[in-house]
Amino acid sequence: MKGELHIVGFQVGRETYGVPITSLHEIVRVPEITAVPDAPDYLEGVINLRGKIVSVMDLRKRFGEKQVDLKKQNRILVVEHAGRLAGLIVDSASEVLKIPAEDVEAPPAVFQEGGLNCVTGLGKVKGRLVVLLDMSKLMAAGNLQQTSNPEAKPKAETRGAAAR
Amino acid sequence: MNHSSDERGAELRELFFETSQELLQALNDEALKLEKKPGDEEIVRSIRRTAHTLKGDSAACGLREISELAHQFEDALSVEGATANAAVAEIAFQVTDVFGEMISAYRKGSKLPSTTSLSKKIKALTSAPAVRKSRGKKAKSIAKPSEWTEYEKLSMTQAQASGMAVYHVVAKIDPHCAMPIAGRQLIQNGAAAAGRVLAIRPDPKSPAAVKQVELVVATSGAPEQIEARCKIPTIAEEVSVELMLAAVEIIDPAVNAAAQTIPDPAQPLPSKSESGAAENSAVQSTTENILRVEAGRIDNVLNLVGELIIGKSMLQQALSEFSKRYPRELLRSTFADAMAFQARVLNDLQRSVMKIRMVPVDQLFRRFPRIVRDVARQCSREVELVVSGQDTDLDKGILDAIAEPLTHMVRNAVSHGIESPEDRRKAGKAAQGTVRLNAYHQGNQVIVEVSDDGRGLDAQRIRAKAIELGFVSPDESSRLSDSEVTDFIFRPGFSTAEQVTEVSGRGVGMDVVQSVLHRLKATITVETRPGQGTTFRLKLPLTLAIIKALLFWVEQRLYAIPLNAVVEIARTTEAEVHQVDNYEVLQLRNQVLPVLRLGRPQLVGEEGKTHKLFVLVITVGERKYGLIVDALEGEEELVIKALDDQTFSTDLVSGASILGDGRVVLILNLPAVVEHFAHSRPQESGRVHSGLLLTATDRMRFAMTQAGGRA
Repeated sequence: MKGELHIVGFQVGRETYGVPITSLHEIVRVPEITAVPDAPDYLEGVINLRGKIVSVMDLRKRFGEKQVDLKKQNRILVVEHAGRLAGLIVDSASEVLKIPAEDVEAPPAVFQEGGLNCVTGLGKVKGRLVVLLDMSKLMAAGNLQQTSNPEAKPKAETRGAAAR
Repeated sequence: MNHSSDERGAELRELFFETSQELLQALNDEALKLEKKPGDEEIVRSIRRTAHTLKGDSAACGLREISELAHQFEDALSVEGATANAAVAEIAFQVTDVFGEMISAYRKGSKLPSTTSLSKKIKALTSAPAVRKSRGKKAKSIAKPSEWTEYEKLSMTQAQASGMAVYHVVAKIDPHCAMPIAGRQLIQNGAAAAGRVLAIRPDPKSPAAVKQVELVVATSGAPEQIEARCKIPTIAEEVSVELMLAAVEIIDPAVNAAAQTIPDPAQPLPSKSESGAAENSAVQSTTENILRVEAGRIDNVLNLVGELIIGKSMLQQALSEFSKRYPRELLRSTFADAMAFQARVLNDLQRSVMKIRMVPVDQLFRRFPRIVRDVARQCSREVELVVSGQDTDLDKGILDAIAEPLTHMVRNAVSHGIESPEDRRKAGKAAQGTVRLNAYHQGNQVIVEVSDDGRGLDAQRIRAKAIELGFVSPDESSRLSDSEVTDFIFRPGFSTAEQVTEVSGRGVGMDVVQSVLHRLKATITVETRPGQGTTFRLKLPLTLAIIKALLFWVEQRLYAIPLNAVVEIARTTEAEVHQVDNYEVLQLRNQVLPVLRLGRPQLVGEEGKTHKLFVLVITVGERKYGLIVDALEGEEELVIKALDDQTFSTDLVSGASILGDGRVVLILNLPAVVEHFAHSRPQESGRVHSGLLLTATDRMRFAMTQAGGRA
């Protein structure tokens, strides 16, 4: 069992992403979201999670997806990091993946800059690629401000993924 | 003096760190007093007592360096003649500072500051020639004798008559003992095991009960036995056993007569260490029955109360639904009664919990005498600090948050507000300036004022600076009143380094003050009269946790603002809103209000003219504004929950709350909203600022519908 990563996989657009299962709090349907003014557009707002106010980020907007209408199968992944809860809107959340540590590769250098510096690695599961996300960077305050140009990044990401 | 067992060591240390802050504060206060009245023996004694307590406590925690320094200091003060030395106060200040450094060094586990130069100074104190003879011995503090009731006296003599010796036992309860009342019971049990307990003082309900216990024990055994039984480590730190009545062999027939001749146990504590006794009495006068509780636990309770309030409004909503559906159901009134009862209890509960968090502002104010003294020395000013309203209660969280801004303001008042003594004399004022600190309640707010009788703010220079920095154009500035001009000092960026010398220095870091206050939903105003002084007035909310709020709709979204900011709710039409330059104003009866439009810009055309509007007239600081909203929802008590401020950097929203039906409502931060309107000036002239609460998505949607409408 040692050296195996347990990852919750979810889809944003055509890609599969993953966060460590330890940082997942729960997965909920998308409730009514209260928008917060003066915030970047991928910050959807806040939701009431059984009496707790949780801020919600739309990962689809964050990663530059064009299709951002909310559908029935959309879910909010409530993740916990450093005592803070945050919700991530994803297209669908599916499975728990077990990835051996040796099947995880460091992200290519092109990911280090810009909006994709929240990628910690690329995991390979049955021939598929899973983009592993670093919660601390995804939720860091400074990071949120600098994705003013969402167009450039998804391309870099798909290219990087395709190259492997 | 304390029995400290190893496993309690760390806990004890933590407690010492906490209590030492109070002791240091006391030292500071006393040193200040002494500086005013040099040579006052009473004050010196009290300094010595504090040093002694510090010595004992630190020794008990194994903090040798502190206890040694305290010991030196205490010794130096007990030398006769040292009292008269004027340097005592100065050294007391230094000792306090060094203690503070040492304690924080211990806390962090870092290197201790050097004390050699200080201990030299302390030694110099003792070698200083005695200027005057000491006035006899220090006052012996005699603990108040306990009075025994007739019944107890009778039982004592009876015990004596039956061949037992009667002992008076005094056990001091360790101040670090976590459960003094339980400890007291243990001591009593110990005494009961050694003999018969005839009387016990003080009453367990009295506040003194946690400090010591006096027992009258009759026994035929040896007194050492009682002492051994009563001395319980970490509970009873000092036990003294004294013979009151020796055992008599012959039964005295005149029992009653003997009862009257019982020697009065006047000295329950033989003053073997008089300073110890004095310290004891000092402690008795200051501490009451106080419970130290971690703030986090109280917050937890407060959060739960908050949840209950949400629950209450959920129930209320369900009840009104129920009443609508079954108007004839008799159960309705039973429900309503139960609800009303629950609401009342909940209200009380909430108030009591809030009260726990309240602390007198004195906790903050009492550090200022020292600060004022130090700053006044640095800038060679003569300043007196007058403090009033120390008893005003304020939420601990708010108090902690304003500590820094307030310190800043007081420093400013001394260094920049008050003129030098020569200048003051020239201006026909007393050489000594006065800085006043005041706190009082006003409605649902607490006002904290910092005022000085110095030169006041120079409106002309601020005006010039504001023009230079591009905050206003020259002709705009001439239209501004002086009080509008002085508000510029709160603008970020107004305080620049060169400004310290150019414009009387006021306003240095005032924007920092402002930013803290924004977070607290507090406001600050300044009032100044040239040559007569300046007053800064902080308006603080009583608490940060629960507010009464007015809920309204803007662009299909629900928002809330604190109800106490709302002066009036009015209806008007678009036709009443006029545009002046880049701003919209509204004429309401005979006043003209600047308009804050939170939603979409004004409708144009004929249809727009008759469009009805809701206007909330709000006050921010001293000024009124008209807030245009789409619809009103109502009044509600809201439990404020913080937004994750690491994700949302906006200051427009001060928090969020959950309504009874589970909806999330955002609470607007009015000072920030007003500021946004004031500072963001649209580029094109003739365009007004609006749509503050629109999100990026909204804007896109409106732009699309507008384009679609045109096409």
